[in-house]
Amino acid sequence: MLIEFKNIFVERDGRQTLTDLNLSLSERRIGIIGPNGSGKSTFIRLINGLLLPKEGQICVDGLDTRVDVEKIRRKVGFVFQNPDNQIVFPVVIEDIEFGLKRRVPEPTQRRLRALEALTQLGALHLQERLIHTLSGGERQLVALAGVLATQPEILVFDEPTTQLDLRLRNRFELHLTSLTQAAVIVSHDLVLMGTMDRVLVLNGGRLAFDGAPDKAIDWYRRHCS
Amino acid sequence: MLKTKDLVLVALFTAMIIVLGLVPPIPVPWVPVPVTLQTFGVMLAGLMLGPWRGGLVVLTYVLIAMVGIPVLPGGRAGLAVLAGPTGGFLLGMIPGAVVTGLLAGRLKTDSSVSLAQGWSAAAPQVLRCWLASVVGGLLVVYAVGIPWLAIVTGMGLTKAAWAIVVFVPGDLLKALIAGIVAQRVRRLALI
Amino acid sequence: MGSFYVPGDSWLHQLPTGLKLSLLMLAGAGLMWVHDWRILLVILIVVLLLIQQSGVRVLQWWQHIRTLSWLLLALIIFTALTQSPMTAIEVGLRMLALLLAALLVSLTTSIAKMMEVLIWLLQPLQTRGWVNSERVALVFGLTLRLIPELSVQWHEIREAQAARGLKANPLTMGVPMLLRTLKRAQEIADALDARQ
Repeated sequence: MLIEFKNIFVERDGRQTLTDLNLSLSERRIGIIGPNGSGKSTFIRLINGLLLPKEGQICVDGLDTRVDVEKIRRKVGFVFQNPDNQIVFPVVIEDIEFGLKRRVPEPTQRRLRALEALTQLGALHLQERLIHTLSGGERQLVALAGVLATQPEILVFDEPTTQLDLRLRNRFELHLTSLTQAAVIVSHDLVLMGTMDRVLVLNGGRLAFDGAPDKAIDWYRRHCS
Repeated sequence: MLKTKDLVLVALFTAMIIVLGLVPPIPVPWVPVPVTLQTFGVMLAGLMLGPWRGGLVVLTYVLIAMVGIPVLPGGRAGLAVLAGPTGGFLLGMIPGAVVTGLLAGRLKTDSSVSLAQGWSAAAPQVLRCWLASVVGGLLVVYAVGIPWLAIVTGMGLTKAAWAIVVFVPGDLLKALIAGIVAQRVRRLALI
Repeated sequence: MGSFYVPGDSWLHQLPTGLKLSLLMLAGAGLMWVHDWRILLVILIVVLLLIQQSGVRVLQWWQHIRTLSWLLLALIIFTALTQSPMTAIEVGLRMLALLLAALLVSLTTSIAKMMEVLIWLLQPLQTRGWVNSERVALVFGLTLRLIPELSVQWHEIREAQAARGLKANPLTMGVPMLLRTLKRAQEIADALDARQ
């Protein structure tokens, strides 16, 4: 699936957060790195229309984010940095089913899909648990399951490993490899970024480097430490 | 029409009232009775969200209590409270939040009124918020609660009024704090 | 978070919810007109018998009454002093009967059943397009979800301030509490929108 950014200028609170962006994303694993405030969060929020650019156009699979945002959101699964802000219902299975309400009107089908998503991540045993009794890593799994259950064509992750300890971080990397969908990942985790197919470096709202992961990380280390 | 963010704000503030309501009463010097934070939460909802969303917040609060979830201070049952003497004070908070919201109005986030200009500049806004909280969180609530109390216990209006007079100083203080907090936050955040 | 409902299969549990609530309201209104303490005592005993019929044990419901009983006691003393001991007894019996009746309904009706009644009541508004039951469920669910979160937030702010030597003070806690709450609102709304 192709994601195109054409002549993008984004302004937030009077500040230029992204300038002069022109690129196409089609690789299976795309990483985005950059210093804080470089526009990474803004960048990925353009993909599913959470933010609209001041100028320019973003096309996801041929659909314009200004026009077909609902269709796009059905294709793009967004996993936020803090699972606490993403999980809406108190019980795990309820939350996952909620995300499916519109796509799967039939209740038994919905439950099946929700259970499938949990099983895929090895989290089936959490289905009846109350969210606030879960650990941070478990909550992240639940948030991810909620997104996977909607069967998106592409996934976007906003700093997925920042709040995880080493063990959970490795577990995440494993899950990532098992996912069939393409993924765009914003992260500070340079080891994770090393496993990507293509890495973009954002700096000061501009695309500073775009290419192979090792070169990108190298550039980042030299110019942004 | 209510947008997603409005629904989220309603849920957030309802949860906030619930959490504040479950905080144990705080003893305050010069105030006869330890102060509970339930009405404080209601005032904040009205001040920050305006009449309609504020009213919706307290309505949601009451409905959640009615449905049987123990969210009222002291872990009390919603139905039992409504059946009892204090039911009116609970219900009165719904129009109370609406009135507070209406009176506080859309506070202009005037960036020129900074703390650097001192108290005198911020005072009119705080005063307005305080008045809004007093009229909504106190007068309206008591206007519903006192007759309810009087009827349910058969004590008569004047006796009922005297029964709750001990809570008034605490409520006035709460309204003032709500006003100060609201004014500060409204200056910092635009919703 | 525990609820008041105690699962069981007594006839009280199986009565239609709407009926129980309507009867409660009628009882509430009706008891206002009863002034004879003897009748009130009989009614109280009947309610207690009904509670016994429901199969809910005393220990399970006594704790709910405990918090209210202080209020009741204060009320009785106040009435005895300002009116008469007789009136106080009457008021006390009536209050107790009402509270126990309401508690009985809460004990024998599950939250799910109450929600059904609520949705049913909202039906006419739904057909007019004013209310959407999906959104009602969302707000309820989200509120419940957020209660432990905000509680943690409260305690975190409390701790941070205690470390600076401040006591529980709504003035100093109100601002950070509100600010964090408002910040979350945008993030949660974004996450919800992304999930469409």
